[in-house]
Order: sequence, then structure tokens, then C-alpha cells
Amino acid sequence: MDFTVVDIDELTIGYSKKNPLVEIPRLEISSGEIIAITGPSGVGKTTLIRTISGLVRPLKGKVSLFGKPFGVRPKRGSLGYIPQRLGLVRHASVLHNVKLGARAGNSNPYSIFPNSKIRDLCLDSIRRMGLSEKIYEPVRRLSGGQQRRVAIARTMAQSPKIILADEFLSELDEKTLEMVKTEVVEFVRKESSTLIVVEHDVSRAKSIADRMLVIDDGRVNPFISQTTALEVKK
Amino acid sequence: MDWLTIGGGYLGGGQNLIVFINESLWPPDWGVIEPQAYPVCTAYPPFDFTCSTAWIGMTETIKIAFISTVFGTLVSLPISILASRNLNPIFITFPSRFILAACRSLPSIIWAIFFVILVGFGPLSGILAMTIYTVGYLGKLQYESIEGMSNIPLESADSMGLSKIEKAIGVVIPEQANNLISQTIFMFEYNVRHGTVIGIVGAGGIGYYINLYLKFLQYDKVLAYLIIIYSVVIIIDFISIYARSFFNDEGDINPPKWISVLIPQWIFDSR
Repeated sequence: MDFTVVDIDELTIGYSKKNPLVEIPRLEISSGEIIAITGPSGVGKTTLIRTISGLVRPLKGKVSLFGKPFGVRPKRGSLGYIPQRLGLVRHASVLHNVKLGARAGNSNPYSIFPNSKIRDLCLDSIRRMGLSEKIYEPVRRLSGGQQRRVAIARTMAQSPKIILADEFLSELDEKTLEMVKTEVVEFVRKESSTLIVVEHDVSRAKSIADRMLVIDDGRVNPFISQTTALEVKK
Repeated sequence: MDWLTIGGGYLGGGQNLIVFINESLWPPDWGVIEPQAYPVCTAYPPFDFTCSTAWIGMTETIKIAFISTVFGTLVSLPISILASRNLNPIFITFPSRFILAACRSLPSIIWAIFFVILVGFGPLSGILAMTIYTVGYLGKLQYESIEGMSNIPLESADSMGLSKIEKAIGVVIPEQANNLISQTIFMFEYNVRHGTVIGIVGAGGIGYYINLYLKFLQYDKVLAYLIIIYSVVIIIDFISIYARSFFNDEGDINPPKWISVLIPQWIFDSR
């Protein structure tokens, strides 16, 4: 059964009250949905998902995850975040990075013994991202696209209820892009997770999203400091 | 100090200094690497230098430095993680920084005097003194480097819901491993150099012999010890460059050779 996982009401986001970036009157995102946030660069797409993930405090209004207000942490492992710059541990191996996600989603924070279930989960998601050959390779030695796939594998191993992904399809070649897209969408459908994607490429966003959130740029007129988020049906 | 006396007056042109160097300091007395008369040396030539005061003192200094670096790192790493402002709130970071600052506020020689009074002469007081100083000094370097790390891996770990311990062990330590290892090696080198100073107050090591010969005004022997210390520090420096190259990005492109411990790597690279 679908239920609301993200509830946004009269939300204003940004880093300073004098210069707010985006204003969203009302937005409900249900479980199992794939939402793409698009718009020109610098408009506040990343800030929006950082606000949803709880990393940036909203300037005004309400944002709640799983019915809990901003500031209350969701359950361990229920939120997965793939930042634009990936947030990987560069000096550690691919397996180590993926294991961080698997631990968050599948074990208690105090378990110290090796767990075969976690290892299997990691190996499975690494295989799905086509990185089986690179398991013990330090992440810093991988290419940009491969690093991106490590970050996706980490989130898949975590199997969170909400996945926030910032430009997660960039730096990939055509063939790999299709493979990653198929795997991720299949994963989201199977786990009935919610995927919120920031994507500046509209056609790419359309190809995966159920709904699109287009953030219109207000910079055309310098006197309009606020921009408006428009909800557009695909 | 009366510089005119040392220099032999304005017209003297450093006569006294030259006399001091010629008659007391130079050439260095390499008798310090010959075996001692007592206790009787059981090693055969060419390994009989292992019975010399220089060898015994230097190895003891290196041992003291090594043990205190290991203990100091083990203690300072958890404290420095607690002291990092990007990982913990102020009510945890402040007391941790207070502890580190307290350990650092006295130089190791004062700690050595303190421990010589407390536990007596010998290497134990040296180890205790240098461990405490290492905790303070290395802890400071460590939390500064942890605070300088990129915030993005920490943010994604936070979003995932990883605990503070998981974040420290799984993200912070591997991400900062290069810096932490290089700081630890630097601290070892620092402790070797300071091991000579704390020996002077009776806390073991080569400093004991330096102090002994200074008292007997045998400066040529003191100079020989100083040259030995200098050589050891240089060798440790090369080993540290070699060891660190495994943990940075350059090591991936250009893996170091063992010979680079003795001869700098760039000599091979420039060919």
C-alpha cells in the first residue's frame, strides 16, 4: 500500500533568509515513486534534497520524512543519499565503501563480528553495478564513472526506503548508463523504495521519473529573488 | 653570554672559537663506536660495535621513541576523534582538547624530570614522559587533520544513519589514514630527536652518554654522538618518505623502490 514518505508544506529553502532559493507550496511523495527534480544549475535542486535529507535547515515551512518533523532522525538505514561528489572513502576499497551502506541498512551499530549476510549483500550489489573485478581496489584508483557506480552500489546494499540521488547518472557512457538506470529502477520497484533524483538533463529525467518537479529559474528578472517550484505531470 | 670572550674580542676575530673547535671538538672521537671494556663483549668483529656506548645508547633511544610513539598514538587517536568539531558537539570536544592541551603544555624534558623523580632513573621514565607528550602533540595534529577532511563522506554517513563509532572507524580513519600515518612517523622521528635530550636528565638513551662526556669536557666524543644521531634521523626521514608513499596517490602512479630509503627516489625518476 502506498503511503506518504515525504511531506512538504509551504517550504522555503536556501542558505540565507534574505536570499531564499526555492519555495514549494505543497508536495507529497508516496512510497515507490520516482521523482525527478530538474531545472537549470544554481537554482537550488541540490539544496532541496539536502533539506529533505536533513542536512540543511529549511528557512520556513514544514518538511517531514515518514511523518516525523525536520530534525528528528529517521530510522537507521532508511535514508540513502548519493551526493553529487559521491562522499566515498577514497582511500578504502570498493568493498569497504559498500559495506558501510550494508551495515547501515542491515545491522545494529554495535555489531563488530564479520557477517556473511552483509558480505553477500555487498557482493551482490557490486556485481549488479558491474564492478566485481574491482572489489579490493581503492576507490581513488577508479574512474569517475566507476566511483559513481560504487556510490550507487553502496546505496543499493543499504536498501533504504528513500533514496536521494544528486546527478547520479552523470559521467557514465551510454551503455553503462542504460545498465545502471535499469538496475536502479528495477531495484526501486522491487524494494518499493522512493527515489528522488536531481537531474539537469530533462530527457534523462523523463526516462526514469514517474513525476517531475521542475524548478523554474527566477534569475531572468534580477528583482525576483524567489523561484517557484512547479509540479508537472509527465 | 659574553660573545666578545668567545670571539676573542673585536680584534680577535673568533680566536677562542677556533681554538675550541681545533683542540676540543674536532676531529670527533670515534672511540664511542668501539666495544666497551666492561661488560666483556661477546660479539665477534665486525659486529663488536654492538657493545659500544653509541650503539647501546642509540638503540635504547630508538626503543624508547618507538614504544612511546605506539602508546601515544593508541591513546591520542580516540581523544583526537572526540576533540574534532566536525564529529562531536562542543561539550565533548572542549574537555578532550583540554586533556590534549594539558599534555602538551609542558615540554617532554619537564615531563622527564617529573617522571625521573616519580619512578627513578632509566628508560621507563623516558617512555612515560614521551608518551604523555606524544598524546598532546600528536592529538593536536590528528584533530586538526580530521577537522580538515571533506565534509561530504561524513554527510552521507550521517544520512545513512551510521553511529559515531562506525563513522570514526569506517570513514574518518581510512579517509585520513595518509595524514595519520605520516604524523605518527613524524612523531617517531621527533621522539628519537627528543630522546637524546631527555636522556640528559637521566631518562635513559644516548642522552645519558652525551651528558656523561659533557661533564668530563670530552667534546670530541659528544660530537661523534651528535653525528650518529644526525645520521639516524636522516635514515628515519628516508624511511618515513618511503612508508608514506604507500598511502598517497603518488604511490599508485610511481611505486617507490627499497633503495629510495637510502637514495632519494627523484634521482631514479630524473633518468
